[in-house]
Amino acid sequence: MSEIKEISPNNLVLFGLIGGLIGVYLSPTLPIAGALGAICAVIWGADAVRRVAKYGLGTGVPSIGQIALGMGIIAAMFGLAIMKSQPLAGPVVAVITASVIGFVIGWFAQNVIKMKIPVMIRCMTEIAASGAIIILGYSAAVAGNYDFVNNLIPLVFDNGVILFIFWVGAVAMLHPFNACLGPDERQKRMLYLAGSTGASTMAIVGLAAIMTLGASGAITMLLGIVLWLIFYKKFWDEVYNDAASVVGTGLIPKTEA
Amino acid sequence: MVLDLTMSMAILALLGALATIAGCLEDLESDVGSQSNPNSQVQLAPQMGLLHRIFNKAISGEPISNGMSAVTGGTVAAVLLNAKFYPLTAIVIGSFIAAILYGIYATTAYAGRVASQSRFKQPLYMDIMRYTTPSIIGHNFIVNFCLVTIAYIQYAVLGYPFSIPFLALIWGISVGAIGSSVGDVHYGGEREFQNREFGCGLNTALSGRIVRKAESGLRNSIDNVWFCAKFGGPATGIGLGLTVFFSSWPTTIWGYTWTAMGVGVIILVVMIIMNRLVEINVKKAYGPYKEDKEEKEAGAVAHTH
Repeated sequence: MSEIKEISPNNLVLFGLIGGLIGVYLSPTLPIAGALGAICAVIWGADAVRRVAKYGLGTGVPSIGQIALGMGIIAAMFGLAIMKSQPLAGPVVAVITASVIGFVIGWFAQNVIKMKIPVMIRCMTEIAASGAIIILGYSAAVAGNYDFVNNLIPLVFDNGVILFIFWVGAVAMLHPFNACLGPDERQKRMLYLAGSTGASTMAIVGLAAIMTLGASGAITMLLGIVLWLIFYKKFWDEVYNDAASVVGTGLIPKTEA
Repeated sequence: MVLDLTMSMAILALLGALATIAGCLEDLESDVGSQSNPNSQVQLAPQMGLLHRIFNKAISGEPISNGMSAVTGGTVAAVLLNAKFYPLTAIVIGSFIAAILYGIYATTAYAGRVASQSRFKQPLYMDIMRYTTPSIIGHNFIVNFCLVTIAYIQYAVLGYPFSIPFLALIWGISVGAIGSSVGDVHYGGEREFQNREFGCGLNTALSGRIVRKAESGLRNSIDNVWFCAKFGGPATGIGLGLTVFFSSWPTTIWGYTWTAMGVGVIILVVMIIMNRLVEINVKKAYGPYKEDKEEKEAGAVAHTH
């Protein structure tokens, strides 16, 4: 299996971090960019989940996704709220806060609970940071920018859309590895699935943005559906490639057992 | 909105009925895809050399996946209500979009998990995909419809100070948690291991050795729903319905007073006593489980490998 080339974790960190933050910072002029940034973060986060969960966390995968967005939402709100006077610094502070929370939780898991997973601390930090960007990106796509008091609270928090972003963002991040779990899991297939879950979340976020921003939300929704179709198709191409066999119907093949 | 007692009781009855339907359908929906508890056995079977034709819907635990579909339904319904749609139309469209999203996640879970088991030669059966996914979407649609309707009633009629997506999410998590704890027992333990003695527990040596053949032909997930619909689903529905009914009934009658609190505590005590009596009777009737000879041998073989 080692001959298959995988994208290195460092490249995915850069992809998620830079892509995500660019998306969030572009959102005041182009709300759709927030959602695209969030998709970058979903792909990054899914890979971080993959690296840590490969150590045999079966049922722990959904929990990791939930804790990611739990840390992310706290950090995102904290970062944006304390930087009210300097809104430009808000997202960066949010990501740094998330990384610190993730680092502390990872440290506890490693040294207090003694889970003995070598990549635990690094992955928890990455997962928390990507969770914060997911929250920021999708919220910015719904609210039009990342101004906490004037836009996020009335347009995302009051109407409950934040719960959709929180919950479905977590599933978008945890689902790709969880759905591909198994001994013959491939990074490429998992990353396409991460793109697909991120894009389907973006489509519903676009629908919510129609309520808050009007017509520009429709563009987010349509682009989300198009991106979803592309990634979903790519995922299925990989499934056809990787599966032992894809059959219309048939009996169970004979095995030794 | 202030309602008189008759009207409040009518609303309470409606909520209880909706919760009962939602709970029942949620459990059946999780059984279509062998989600949650049975899932690990379906996942393990190919590794034991036992290939199967059962859907492997590994979205996540039931509370998370149902929370996802319910909050999606609630959010879309809230958007449509904001655009002045009729409430019923908004709820139906919201539930439908959420169910479609859920179905998409289900297809990727089945395809992804099977593709990740290629070394065990597990084939990906497209006919299973084609007729099981619509069943999952259909069941999930009804669950979403009931839950978003409950959230809407609480928000618009009872005047709860929370948004519709929030209430829908809480209901989604609750229905998933109750479906997982009440309903799973009737699928995971009984249907997949029905060739073992009732109550034998799951010996490690039996892991993944699920029943793959039906009365005639090969068993698929739809056959499992047929079995679960006889008891597991309705039991789950009654579980959630009673939870909703008994948690709201005291405050409906006595308002938010200490009397209502006292009645709530009495209900709780009665339930604890009833549970204990059932447990004692079951233990008397069936006694502790005795490992039979065949299993001991199977266990010994497994250890030597």
